[in-house]
Amino acid sequence: MGMGWKIAMAVMMLFFLFRLWPTAKAWMENGPKGSTSDWTTAALLLGGVMLFVWVLTKIV
Amino acid sequence: MAIQTIDRASELTTNKVLRDTYRLLSLTLLFSAFTAGVSYFLRLPHAVSMVCTFGAMGLLWFVLPKFSNSAKGIWVVFAVTGLLGVGLGPMLNHYLATANGPTMVATALGGTGVIFFGLSAFALVTKKDFSFMGGFLFAGFMVVIMAVIANIFLSMPGLSIVISAAIILLMSGFILFDTSRIVNGGETNYINATVGLFLSLYNIFQSLLFLLGMSSDD
Repeated sequence: MGMGWKIAMAVMMLFFLFRLWPTAKAWMENGPKGSTSDWTTAALLLGGVMLFVWVLTKIV
Repeated sequence: MAIQTIDRASELTTNKVLRDTYRLLSLTLLFSAFTAGVSYFLRLPHAVSMVCTFGAMGLLWFVLPKFSNSAKGIWVVFAVTGLLGVGLGPMLNHYLATANGPTMVATALGGTGVIFFGLSAFALVTKKDFSFMGGFLFAGFMVVIMAVIANIFLSMPGLSIVISAAIILLMSGFILFDTSRIVNGGETNYINATVGLFLSLYNIFQSLLFLLGMSSDD
């Protein structure tokens, strides 16, 4: 990829960050907080996804 | 009696949003697969793929918000997903040209489907509210974008693997988050809901294909 494309992509990503920041800030500051049990459920599900991905990389 | 009527109306609205979201999501996935197929057979260069991705992002940021509450928003969603499909063409060309390319692409497609159906089914059946993950997901996504910007110039294979794994993790979280918001009435616009789920699926497929490609190179 040429330097021009790299810069264009980086600018697009920076703009994406800029656009995302207010939403992210609002969710971080005012979003609902989960209990330990909520986070355990989420961690188990996401851990299961990562385990599944690891298995896929081993069988292909 | 009045409360029961309100509850019933709210449930009907949620079911309608859910049904419309999955209907539009299936159609946009088919359309995106079609445009990806066209892009693959025409062997479009990488530059066209980048321009299409930029175009899709532009539509997402500047056009969709203006039309997401009207029927015209559906055409914008098709334009976005079609352009993203075209953007996949060169990547598919690259992987399908390798020895076990067809297996890798099929595995990435199947794997994405399993992740999506598994997580959606969990959120739909349990009706658990995953909105508490919002702060974590958005903060994580911003960190990943910063890492992507750094890796555009650093081109470190190790960092690419970490980024792809993080994207799969975050997008899986977003599937739980978006689905639970629809189920619990937090998202009532099926156009926005469709775009959110489509982008999660698109990113999981791309990152999974990249990881499978890297593991097969070893």
